[in-house]
Amino acid sequence: MSNGPMPEPGGFDEEVYLRLNPDVLMAVAAGKFRTGREHYERFGRTEGRPIIAPGALPPDKVVMISPTGQGHEKPRPPAGAVDGVKLSGAGGIYITGWVNDALDRLDCIDLYFSGWSISFSGANLARVRRPDAEIHTAIVPHPCGFWGFIHAARRLSSGMCSAVLRLKSGAELHLMLTVEAVDDQELRNIALAGLAQAAYFGNPYFAAVASIDSAIGSQLVDFNQTLTRRAVNGPYIERFGHTRAAYKGSIIVCLYGRPEYMFLQQALFSRLPGIQDYEFIYVCNSPELAELLLKEARRCALIYGLDMTLIVLAANAGFGAANNLAARHARSKRLLIMNPDVFPYDTAWAERHSAVLEALPPERTALFGVPLYYDDGSLMHAGMYFEMDTSPSFTGGRRQETSLLRVEHYGKGAPPGTPRFLHPRPVPAVTGAFISVDQGWFDTLGGFTEDYIFGHYEDADLCLKSLEAGRAPWLHDVRLYHLEGKGSTRQPAHEGGSAVNRWLFTRSWGEMVTEGLLGPAPLHPLLAAEEVA
Amino acid sequence: MKVLIVSLYHPELVRGGAQQIAFELFEGLKQVPGVEPVLLASVDQTTPALYKSGARITGFDGRPGEFLFLTQEYDYVWEKSTDVRLAEAFIEFLALIQPDVVHFHHFLTFGIDYLSLARRALPEAKIVFTAHEFLTICAANGHMVRRTDQSLCTRASAMRCHQCRPEHPPEHYFMREMWMKAHLAAVDVFTTPSRFMIPHYAAWGLDPAKFVHVTNGQQPRQAHPAAPAGAPRNRFGFFGQLVDVKGLHVLLRAVVLLRAEGFTDFTVEINGDNIQFATSERRQEIEEFLAAEAELPLAERNVVFNGSYHHDQLAGRMARVDWVVVPSIWWEIFCLVVSEAWSFGRPVIASDVGGLAERVTHDADGLLFELGDARALAETMRRACAEAGLWDRLAAGIKPTPGRAEMVEGFLAVYAGTAAPGRLAAE
Repeated sequence: MSNGPMPEPGGFDEEVYLRLNPDVLMAVAAGKFRTGREHYERFGRTEGRPIIAPGALPPDKVVMISPTGQGHEKPRPPAGAVDGVKLSGAGGIYITGWVNDALDRLDCIDLYFSGWSISFSGANLARVRRPDAEIHTAIVPHPCGFWGFIHAARRLSSGMCSAVLRLKSGAELHLMLTVEAVDDQELRNIALAGLAQAAYFGNPYFAAVASIDSAIGSQLVDFNQTLTRRAVNGPYIERFGHTRAAYKGSIIVCLYGRPEYMFLQQALFSRLPGIQDYEFIYVCNSPELAELLLKEARRCALIYGLDMTLIVLAANAGFGAANNLAARHARSKRLLIMNPDVFPYDTAWAERHSAVLEALPPERTALFGVPLYYDDGSLMHAGMYFEMDTSPSFTGGRRQETSLLRVEHYGKGAPPGTPRFLHPRPVPAVTGAFISVDQGWFDTLGGFTEDYIFGHYEDADLCLKSLEAGRAPWLHDVRLYHLEGKGSTRQPAHEGGSAVNRWLFTRSWGEMVTEGLLGPAPLHPLLAAEEVA
Repeated sequence: MKVLIVSLYHPELVRGGAQQIAFELFEGLKQVPGVEPVLLASVDQTTPALYKSGARITGFDGRPGEFLFLTQEYDYVWEKSTDVRLAEAFIEFLALIQPDVVHFHHFLTFGIDYLSLARRALPEAKIVFTAHEFLTICAANGHMVRRTDQSLCTRASAMRCHQCRPEHPPEHYFMREMWMKAHLAAVDVFTTPSRFMIPHYAAWGLDPAKFVHVTNGQQPRQAHPAAPAGAPRNRFGFFGQLVDVKGLHVLLRAVVLLRAEGFTDFTVEINGDNIQFATSERRQEIEEFLAAEAELPLAERNVVFNGSYHHDQLAGRMARVDWVVVPSIWWEIFCLVVSEAWSFGRPVIASDVGGLAERVTHDADGLLFELGDARALAETMRRACAEAGLWDRLAAGIKPTPGRAEMVEGFLAVYAGTAAPGRLAAE
């Protein structure tokens, strides 16, 4: 079938026109137009009114009557709804809803407030499944749901707003909404929990990451940075025990949600010979624990007598920023970043750690980790390496690929004495559960990158920064226990944060890792150091 | 020599075996020339009237050397208080008393970390810890009875403890063990009232060379009430708390079996209380049995429930029975009921494990039956009723129970460092 040419104006037939357009016939009869021709010239042509008599159409051909081929009727409003719009003090704007745009794609969502307005681009919205709305797209699987997040970085007024969902065709759905004002932290948690808990077609994790790739991921990171800066501003700091001019090391522990790990660590580390040469700095991301932690810190000072600083932040600043802040309060040239659920494996731990620093050349101790053990006695960690996971998806008939870096631990679950995991060696990365790092080198690297949300991947990020700057992380056999994942309580927002972090980590380091750091035996020249017996 | 005795509760405020022994020791040490004992007994919110504003330690009813420790904010998960002022008050008390020996008879209500606190406050003092059960090892009330199947536990581990108390992950119990051991490291000498406990602690990782067995001892209270001559020895008594581990249900099941065999010429008298601390399942079993028993015509009842009793009533309750049955389904560390039965000349029929098996010699001064086995108990009870001369022979075999003086001598040897590990200190 082929398209025919538009009929020439000269072929206009008054009788045919009035027969095919009875509303015009009525208008002419009522005297609103003198003739059908007059209506055609003024309106009919642009409206694409029929002018060719039945039976006169050329067979098997499309005849274009108007220049666009569009009729004069406006497209019908799409089926859809905006479930909610939330606005936070720091200018986070979060929108959720659904729309049936399986055939006619969503172009944008415009919100009109008193005094300001914003447009969410349809291409930048995360698309998710909405089983409750899928009756509208029963034949073709289509992610009707959407959510979007924009960090406006300024205080905005909330209240009523007019919302317009506009499709590519120009179809519009007009709604009036009441916008909910929420706390910044709460909005971050809502967005992240929504990311983690949404339903997707295909692999949920990869689909979730893909959904934030175009814009939301960057907006969330940007928003989180604002919250982080605010959280570390004006911390409560109290020192317990004595204050020496300098220590052999400053053990920095970031607490979140579980206060008991402070007194447990103090009880167990205080028994170690040589631990008096170290100070502890606890930095707490849970301000609601402040009173309890202060009491526990005072009791710890009475019972165990170790030198300790307690820093309580106003809000959860995440792992990186909290540790960076604590590092600035250290009174030594050696920082030991330690998780709260890390405990001594044997009584010689402090002396062994000090011996490593004294005996080995600086390039091997600039940044190092140690073997970590599960409570069941098996190995939990002996360094980390990187793999790349790729997941295709075919939603909407289009093939998309999402690739994400994965961090793996050498020797996880291995018998405790497996020599090949325990011998000192350079490794691509070590876990943040324990990192011993020269304070000057830590500063040179800019400390932990504070872009990551809550925690996860800052450790690998720091190690890759070290590698990039010319010093490989090492693993030295100064064993510790690590009750992995038991140091804090996990919530859906943490899972969402972790997904954002993995996306960010891949975006930051994917290229460098792909070029020489993939797999358990990477060929990176700094990792080819001579093995140490 | 100054000896500070740290006691869970005062026995005149809250009854219990550990505090009774601590108080007996305190009273006994007062009689020893050159020894100055001080008692620091805890109270908790069960006696709120004893709390004085701003005070953490007070005297006790004007008695010399007796003090009350007004506990606050106790955390039963980690067995510690969070109260800073209490810890400061304890340090100050130690500084004021300057004891040569700090003898913990328990850590409950004080906190296990008070062992470390005492060590830090008094580096030169000897710290003695008397284990009255396995609470440092076992988070399930220190009973070492597996909640999965009620079997006796012989080995604590992170996984096994998690199986008993799944509300915490295995890592919690791994941590708990390290936490407990960190504080037990402050102890110079451990004592246990029964020898069988020492291998348990050694298997758990403590040094058996630091353990000394010192028996519990009490002042004898009264002479034996006379038993009716010539009457059949068919009256059995249960004394103690009506909680699961005391095994009353085993005795009641034995009664059911004896009746089913047509044997009804016996009585069982139950003396005790605290059934509210039994599990709902066990409580229901006991209460349903007693309710059904109460429905029977008086002449057909075998079981009588007498309720709780004061020590002053013990002689009267003991006079009504020939045998004392101790059907405990846990290790039963020492069992003061055995001492009480013996002090009234009553042979004991007991489960064959732990402190009971250590104290009761089968067929010499009592009878043992397999722990938890109602049929074995029923057969033992039937033998006790039927075998001529058995009661007289076993009653004659009862040896004098250890007295307070014997216990005090044992602890003095511990304080002096002359007690041999793993042996009765007074031996």
